[in-house]
Amino acid sequence: MTTLSLPVVERRRHAGLPPAVTSHMSGGRDQWSPPLKEAPVDTVQGTWDLLQEVLDPEIPISLPELGLIYGVEFDDGVARIELTFTATACPCMEFIREDITDRLESEHWIDSVELTEVWSPPWTSDRITPEGRAKLKKLGVSA
Amino acid sequence: MSEPLNISTLEGARRDALIRLIITLADSKRILGIRYSDWTLGAPSIETGVSTSSMTQDEWGHARLLYAMLKKLGIDPAPVEHDRPGEEFASIAALDHEQPDWAGLVVLMTLADGAVSTVLRSFATGTFDLAQNRVPKMLAEEEFHASLGSAWYRRLAATGGEARQLLTSSTEAMLPGLLAWVGADDDAARLMVDAGVIGPASERLTAFRDLVRDFVALVGVDIDSVEASADWDEARGRTPGRPDEEACQRARGDLNRALLVE
Repeated sequence: MTTLSLPVVERRRHAGLPPAVTSHMSGGRDQWSPPLKEAPVDTVQGTWDLLQEVLDPEIPISLPELGLIYGVEFDDGVARIELTFTATACPCMEFIREDITDRLESEHWIDSVELTEVWSPPWTSDRITPEGRAKLKKLGVSA
Repeated sequence: MSEPLNISTLEGARRDALIRLIITLADSKRILGIRYSDWTLGAPSIETGVSTSSMTQDEWGHARLLYAMLKKLGIDPAPVEHDRPGEEFASIAALDHEQPDWAGLVVLMTLADGAVSTVLRSFATGTFDLAQNRVPKMLAEEEFHASLGSAWYRRLAATGGEARQLLTSSTEAMLPGLLAWVGADDDAARLMVDAGVIGPASERLTAFRDLVRDFVALVGVDIDSVEASADWDEARGRTPGRPDEEACQRARGDLNRALLVE
């Protein structure tokens, strides 16, 4: 009999879950680049570049392309991200928070990530960037 | 718009009034979500059932954002959401019990959800910054609820027979309590008006009447002739009563406390 061996997912530090509960990680992580060897000169732009690798769990374009990132600041190793969600009850909120945190904290020059949820201005599909729209169009999705 | 509300100097009755306003809105959203979910399996079509499921999701998202406003007042929202007895729930009376028929749910979609949106619209244009920032997204999502409710209300009203009769009786039963809630004008409500957190009762009532006038006219109801309920519970900012215990258990998450994620 073959024993099915399921991968053990370490509980994410920022998931806010009780110890008995673990969360799942979304797809797209296989497309993440290895951590940078050197910290970028422009750490804010470097942070934006990393966020370009984090995909929305449901729509295969990045969070900046989807227009969910409202601001990035970087100060003394701390990346501060302002983000919104497509809906007030978006079922992917936790995935998105985890993916952002994990991608950024994999870099040696980022010590911690602070996420601030914002709702103003409200997200609409108008916030999808031209690059995001082009990718969606190739996938047969109009936005 | 008036000066932004300074939470750090808000105390006593004014602070209590803001807490009451947030909780009655948040509770209404949470119980409204439950009422939509009551009909997810049982709606007239699968597609409409899916719509009620989506609306349930929206309402609970709105409730979460509203309860979280309490943090700004130094209140941990978790016990408010998960540990209150049913007697303390401040949701609107129209939500106290499951709707017995689909027509009742359609009236909830149009009139009760519309009443909550009317007060939220007033809240969003007031002086409380969290309402200014968070509520517009809720109202944008509510446009879809209003659209579905409008289509169904008109459809049932045009059908005649039992459907129209049920629609009429639910409309007549629900309106007095909704008018009392939208037009709340007790001491706490007036404190919020004075602080610019919400608009005056007359303004809210006019907005609500304008919103529903054409619908209720379809079943022969003149909104300007309907009187608001006289009964009022000042402590909770709603008419007397409470949601049934099953709804409270679901709202609190009594059955899944071991898995509670905040």
